[in-house]
Amino acid sequence: MAEVDETMKRLQNQKGVQGIIIVNAEGIPIKSTLDNASTVQYAGNIHQLLMKARGIVRDIDPQNDLTFLRIRSKKNEVMIAPDKDYFLIVIQNPTE
Amino acid sequence: MSNTTVKQKRPALKVAKSSKTLNVSSGVFRVNKSISKTINHSFSGKSFSSEGDSRVLDKSSAQTPKHTVQVFDEHGQDVAPRPLYNPDPGVLQPKQGKIFPAQDTSSWTTMTDFPSVAFQTTNASNTGPFTRSFFGSISASRTSQTLESVTDETKDLLVKQDLSNSLSDVQARREEVQEQVREDVLDSVVDCYLTETETIWLLDIPTVSVSEDSEDAEAVKERNNAYTELCKNRLGNDKYVERSMQTFNGAPKTKEVQCDSITMVDKAVMSTIWDMYDSFCNKSDVSGNTVVSDQGNKADVPDSSSMSKLDLNPKGPEQSKSMVSISSTVSGSSAQLEKMACVLLVEEEPDHELILQSDKFKQDLAVMERVILANIFQPKLAAYRQLPVIEDPDCVRMAMGSKNSPSPFLEHLWAFECGLTMGRNVSSMTWNKKNPDLLAVGYGQLDFKDQKSGLVCCWSLKNPTWPDRIFHCESGVTALDFSACNANQLAVGMYDGTIAIYNVQAAEQTPIIDSSDCSKMHTCPVWQLRWIDHESGLAGEDKGEILISVSADGRICKWVHYKCLECVDLMTLKTPDLATNHMKWNRTISALSPGLCFDFHSNDSNIYLAGTEDGYIHKCSYSYKEEYLETYIAHKGPVYKVTWSPFCPDVFLSCSSDWTIQLWRQDLQRPVLCFTSGQKAVFDIMWSPHCATVFGSVSEGKVEIWDLRISSLDPTIVSVTCPGVNPTGLLFTSETDCVLVGDSEGKVTVYKLRNLTDGGSTQVETLEDVIQSTLSSQH
Repeated sequence: MAEVDETMKRLQNQKGVQGIIIVNAEGIPIKSTLDNASTVQYAGNIHQLLMKARGIVRDIDPQNDLTFLRIRSKKNEVMIAPDKDYFLIVIQNPTE
Repeated sequence: MSNTTVKQKRPALKVAKSSKTLNVSSGVFRVNKSISKTINHSFSGKSFSSEGDSRVLDKSSAQTPKHTVQVFDEHGQDVAPRPLYNPDPGVLQPKQGKIFPAQDTSSWTTMTDFPSVAFQTTNASNTGPFTRSFFGSISASRTSQTLESVTDETKDLLVKQDLSNSLSDVQARREEVQEQVREDVLDSVVDCYLTETETIWLLDIPTVSVSEDSEDAEAVKERNNAYTELCKNRLGNDKYVERSMQTFNGAPKTKEVQCDSITMVDKAVMSTIWDMYDSFCNKSDVSGNTVVSDQGNKADVPDSSSMSKLDLNPKGPEQSKSMVSISSTVSGSSAQLEKMACVLLVEEEPDHELILQSDKFKQDLAVMERVILANIFQPKLAAYRQLPVIEDPDCVRMAMGSKNSPSPFLEHLWAFECGLTMGRNVSSMTWNKKNPDLLAVGYGQLDFKDQKSGLVCCWSLKNPTWPDRIFHCESGVTALDFSACNANQLAVGMYDGTIAIYNVQAAEQTPIIDSSDCSKMHTCPVWQLRWIDHESGLAGEDKGEILISVSADGRICKWVHYKCLECVDLMTLKTPDLATNHMKWNRTISALSPGLCFDFHSNDSNIYLAGTEDGYIHKCSYSYKEEYLETYIAHKGPVYKVTWSPFCPDVFLSCSSDWTIQLWRQDLQRPVLCFTSGQKAVFDIMWSPHCATVFGSVSEGKVEIWDLRISSLDPTIVSVTCPGVNPTGLLFTSETDCVLVGDSEGKVTVYKLRNLTDGGSTQVETLEDVIQSTLSSQH
């Protein structure tokens, strides 16, 4: 547990990382370093996107599965690591 | 049709079924009927009016036809419908009189009884003859129906009256009335409206035709014949008795029922390919799971109910996986759902813990970290891997004063450092043999003072901010080497002479094995370790990889891993008997000079060089441990490093604390070239794996890259480190043109060699030429 905390702290301190959100399978955020409003927004929207993305990947080949999703936008990059029980979202602006 | 009591003489009515012409005849209308049964008094003329049977009817041939009525269709076939009712022959048939005398409906009222006679509603069989008689030429098929409608309107069907007498009277009166009425309204113009009511089907059995050729034809014919027989026999048959029934119409009563509003819920399922695949795959598992969940259900639902009573005590039941599965199954009662909802709420907390502690999460975190760092270090890594560095179009880069100087320089890329390593001295660095992105760095003080515990960190290129593996050692780490055969094994030599082999695949802190049990372990710091591959094999023994170490206790040992590490002396570094200016060393006092470094020949693993603290470099043979093959004497201080050239098999380089780097050829007693660039001890040197004429050196406060093509007097690149920070180690990368420098502050900096002339080939000839020219110039 301490290891996980330490890793998360390291992640948070990396250059340009704006926030880390951990969301459970139902789309409810468990842990977040952002404010509540942003967290809820990210969690809800990304949950839907994730379902769609996973659906796409598995529709083409049901034995395949989504392992990582990256959304690069003008201002930052959203990186999502999905899993069966949760998904991990990190928002980073690497050019800060 | 009954044969009796028909007094009328009427022409047999031949009514074409399809025709609707009205035959006007004013005949006496007779009712050929038994009246005893059903006479409808209450029947008023409404039914007639509804029929739209207007006065036309009375003019029409409202004739009671003879008992035999024949109906012919277009083809002249007799399609007379059979009577449905045959009245009892014994019953008197009333005289048929004019039943429809009047044009007005009012006249009907007087004759209510009479028409009702005609409409024995209970006996449908009446409909045949009477309707024809009443409605004349109106098609027979319709009449029956119209009669039905007429009978529908009758209210009171059961009137038992003996109308035989009254009827006759009625008939007489009727005739009179009729005559009167006629005279009255003869002149008036009367409008007739003919309408047809809608058909009310009470019974419709369509006929089924069977082809004569079919198999059932015979059976059907038989049945048809039987039926005709039956019909014939019905009249006098005892089997058939007329009976009438009246149903009681219960008094209606309104009852109101209210039910809960039915909520409509839309449910949609998208069947996708992966959904079907999952269901198919999970089919076999489901049976197992449902059993578990059922048991869990039974076990846990009572818990949850008690819990809900306890007002959601958060300490509740233990976390059980089955609850999660239950929550996804559909439960029947809503009460159960509530319980589950309660349970779920409480289970939220442990769920989070479970997620956060799961291995998959740790993995995901690690991957995410690498991804983030890849974003941050992308340009650096691209430069490292000799890929074109593409500018991020969205980012605003400050125009850095980039060094566009044509002269070679070291471009700083990044540094491997973290909080853990700060302040430690980098003592050794080595690349993994299998994965060129993996770097092992050993941290340990090289001086005997301020010794602290050592650290070995395995860094990955993908994460320059935190090592992938951290191994804490008891004493300072002084030597490292990755095995080539088992790429996950890392041999660590320590300041106290211990040698440990770690497995870097796991993050365990304990080594696979260490030499502390060995009786012949080193007693002094192990300054260098090497895994040597003896593929050539020497007389059946020592095949495979062997660990060789050199230590300050003057021994070069070979370690074999059986059950524990066992050590065999390869060589004892005795101080050579130099009968030059020194007195004879007493051999009995075995003075072993501390060995500081060694290097096996790349081609011939039998020969190796060893550098000692005395400044001697000994060429030894693997199989001969008594004597040196040769000794090279030039250095005046401890030889810190000796390395064979990777390209020229005869050439080797040595560095020492006497500020010099010497280039030797193994057949020459004297060094070929001597490199000095400062007055500081040179700690480490390494040949470049790409170019034969390039090597790097590290001395106090400086990192130098020498290129013999350019100059043998001065280093080509001199990079000065920050004051106070001493570089202590140098490592070239085998894949790219980068060099790593470890310093005394725990940093391992990655530099890219810039503008170093790349000759294309390995420049072996150049080196040889240089050597040749030097040699020739010396003599």
